[in-house]
Amino acid sequence: MIDKTAPPPPSPAPSPTPVGRVVATELKPATPHQFHFWTANETPIGIGAIVKVEGAASGELGAGRIVYGVVTDGFAYSDLATPLHDVVGAEGDPARAAESPTVRQEIRLWTAAVLRQEPAEPLQPVPLGRVFVATDADVAQALRMDAYLGGAQPTAIPVGLYTSGGLEAPVYLDADFLLGPEAAHLNLSGVSGLATKTSAVEFLLASVFQHFPGHKGRIAAVCFNVKGPDLCFLDQPGPLDDEDRRRYARLGVAARPFERVRYYAPFKADGVNLNTLRTHADLVGDVEPLVWGLREVLDYAEVLLNRDDIDAKADAFIDFLSDRVVDKEFEDGFGGAHRVVTFADLERLFRAIFDGLEFAGRSDTWRTHHIATIRKVRNRLANISTRAKGLVTDDGPSSDLPWGRFEDRTVYVVDVANVDPLAQDLVFARVVSQLREHLERRDLGVDAVVVFVDELNKYAPADGPETYVKKMLLDISERGRYLGLVLFGAEQFRSQVHRRVVGNAGTVVFGRMDSDELATPGYQVLSPATKIKLATLPIGELMVRHPHFTQPIFVRFPRPAVLRGRDGVERFGPAADLPFDDAVVRQLVRLDRRIRPNQVKDLIAERRPEDVRRALAAVRRERPQDALAYFRRQLGGRVAAAPAPARESVPPLNPISDEPY
Amino acid sequence: MTRSWLDAIVAAGAVPASHVPEASVGRTDVAEFTGADPVEDDELRVHPLADARPLAPGAACFLDGIEQWCVAAYAGVTPIVRAYVAAAIRRRGSNRRLRTVAEDAEELVITRLDRVPDGVRAALEAAGVRVIEVPAEAAGPPARALPAAHVEVQKARAALERRLAERHLAALGADEWLVVDGVLSDSAALSAHPRALGIVKSHGAEYFEGAELERALTLPDGHRTGVFRPRSRGARRDIHSWYVRLWPWQGNDLLYGLLRVEARAHPDTIAQASGISVWLRRERAPLSTPDRRWDRLLYPIHDVETYLRARAPRDLLPAAGSRLPRTGT
Repeated sequence: MIDKTAPPPPSPAPSPTPVGRVVATELKPATPHQFHFWTANETPIGIGAIVKVEGAASGELGAGRIVYGVVTDGFAYSDLATPLHDVVGAEGDPARAAESPTVRQEIRLWTAAVLRQEPAEPLQPVPLGRVFVATDADVAQALRMDAYLGGAQPTAIPVGLYTSGGLEAPVYLDADFLLGPEAAHLNLSGVSGLATKTSAVEFLLASVFQHFPGHKGRIAAVCFNVKGPDLCFLDQPGPLDDEDRRRYARLGVAARPFERVRYYAPFKADGVNLNTLRTHADLVGDVEPLVWGLREVLDYAEVLLNRDDIDAKADAFIDFLSDRVVDKEFEDGFGGAHRVVTFADLERLFRAIFDGLEFAGRSDTWRTHHIATIRKVRNRLANISTRAKGLVTDDGPSSDLPWGRFEDRTVYVVDVANVDPLAQDLVFARVVSQLREHLERRDLGVDAVVVFVDELNKYAPADGPETYVKKMLLDISERGRYLGLVLFGAEQFRSQVHRRVVGNAGTVVFGRMDSDELATPGYQVLSPATKIKLATLPIGELMVRHPHFTQPIFVRFPRPAVLRGRDGVERFGPAADLPFDDAVVRQLVRLDRRIRPNQVKDLIAERRPEDVRRALAAVRRERPQDALAYFRRQLGGRVAAAPAPARESVPPLNPISDEPY
Repeated sequence: MTRSWLDAIVAAGAVPASHVPEASVGRTDVAEFTGADPVEDDELRVHPLADARPLAPGAACFLDGIEQWCVAAYAGVTPIVRAYVAAAIRRRGSNRRLRTVAEDAEELVITRLDRVPDGVRAALEAAGVRVIEVPAEAAGPPARALPAAHVEVQKARAALERRLAERHLAALGADEWLVVDGVLSDSAALSAHPRALGIVKSHGAEYFEGAELERALTLPDGHRTGVFRPRSRGARRDIHSWYVRLWPWQGNDLLYGLLRVEARAHPDTIAQASGISVWLRRERAPLSTPDRRWDRLLYPIHDVETYLRARAPRDLLPAAGSRLPRTGT
């Protein structure tokens, strides 16, 4: 940890020599928000450089006033009256133009936007004074970081190093404005591969975990891994060079991987092999399965059913199921009693209803619900358990994130990279909703949670239907800061994300941007030079907007100290899917090292897979001392395999019905 | 200092003024015939430069001066002129960029002291500003006094340039030349220096007549005249000179692109005349536009002038607006 109450670490002493001079003409006047200055042709100044203007000498206009600014544009021109004169001087030969005995007078003229004026009042045009390269202390002043760097309860979070002209200074974000309650959320844009969005978030999360102020409580992060192995190796050290380590030291952030990471991934369709790239034998042991049952799914049915599906009648029937049927003793009206806990139980209820209506020859409604509506809901729910097989279990208990037992400074990675988009939506909606509910009740285990969502344009697109996920993201964006629910969102094209989602992000970070994206109206406030810089930004450099900064600032950050996804899969190659019995063995051995594989294989031989999965899930949930014995009990006695009953066909629809189903 | 002596003489009874005469921001050349003696040939001839190798000095210094003046006050009808003269030398080395190596400036008052009230005179003397008096016969109303003041300003500027150039001669390196905007012959030291050149753009002085004059003024592009010795004017020293045409004059004017070069009176000058001429022709680029005299104004000289004007007092320039009476603010 760095001591923010102490003076910042020493940096190269700034030259007392001014690098420029403010100039103002009638056409290019100095204003309270912008000024122009010239420098020598060879100068360390560039776009994004922070400069300090000292007012004129004592007794002159502007004396005593100090202005900080950031360079937003640059111009160079010579005393050439018209290009034609260069042609004439070179007699039409470009080669001769370079041979002229004298180099024309040139100017480097820069435009800077004011970051801060001292004194702040009265706000006046920038004095025509001397311009200096900003030092560490100047950067802190210019960006108003002095308000949260020091004091009894500093709230500074290092985000990167401002570098210019051989000088560099740490730049800090204010935790109160990054993680709430004053403002919150971070949005990160940039083209794939070059903007290093994931790396930036990994570094920033590490910085947050190490610098989140103690007086603000406990914090955790939930990261949705939505593509490849991006976030699968956050607990493994990655390669760093000396420059990275120097930057870590300069920022006061320890260069180490995350100490506490919990991984969650659904199963594959077989229900025993995890659907993640973190399946190397050395690592798969700490990946928890993510399995949800009927109750978890039914609560978020709205996520899974699109607008065409979820009409008022279907909605009413789902509510009926949720309120009156699931987890309750229920009579179907045809003499059958049901206790619906799983999808299999629900399917049995549906069959009983259809059979009852058919054989009783009664009307086509059941408990005021039309049979077509019932069929529709049944089809959609069955579809869910098919499309999200592995996440949604047909039968058996769920395995979930540790709601109520979240740990401080812990990253919870939910790997949904390889699951169906529908299942991704379900995972996302349910996890975030649970976070919100627990944070509202203050019983999550931590006081604040950072939720990292990549590909935000997919979940909260600017256009398209109002999905449940989008509404939920809007809700987090607008209310999350009061709860401690903070959204770190990333996307390739900011313009394609819902404006209220990006608009509510207090901190905005840009990596290398696409030129077409920069041409969209959202970037009109940036100067052409800043846009060019954004379009050519090197890897590891970002432009940051933060409520305390009146102008965007460019910073560099070190590579995250964790293993990158693609390096991780090379070092820890994913294991091939195991046969069913071997996968069961592996899971049980993980829970109890004393278990011998042959014992398990003997137990499950000729058992129905669903029975084995159910027993395995029970062991996972209970984590008994003697896992094998508990597994054996859950599995029950061996019964002879019975021939599969013939599937009863669903009777045709009543032809008089107007329903299209 | 400007405000102090001006305020003092106004307090002493002078009436403030702010008149900038038309001819105050440039210099003029007096038209006269002096004659010349051919040195290189038996009569003035034309020499092509196509095969000549350019002189390529390791470094070159360029000297120019400026003058600005205005009527700052009136004592009765006697104008009290405020003048500013400055000169600078900018050196061009191997990086082809010009850097100032010497400069000087002076502010002057030009008037006729015996025509101003005692209080004004005392105020001027007390202010410590150098006062130059116009001749007695020129004293009086502006129509007579201002041309005389202009002459004094030109003399002051020329003297300043000369002093600066002579001081700098000792600092010239072995492969370094000093190029002066104007004549060399006003200075004995400059006239005798082996690496000093005078570049004369105005051609008020006439050195030839008849066919020789025609050869000189119709000099084709890429040619020079033979070296000649101008007959001395006043106290001027023995010097060698020749004409060089920088740009074709056809379609423009006889004097278009025509320079007269001055160098020391020495046989080496004759041998170097073509090399120097080719060097000067290479100085055509970059053009010294937007100056109206760009066809004859070498860019480094233009650069020195730009430098001096950038540093000159702004209140000596003609006002951009009208001369409406000033308001209370």
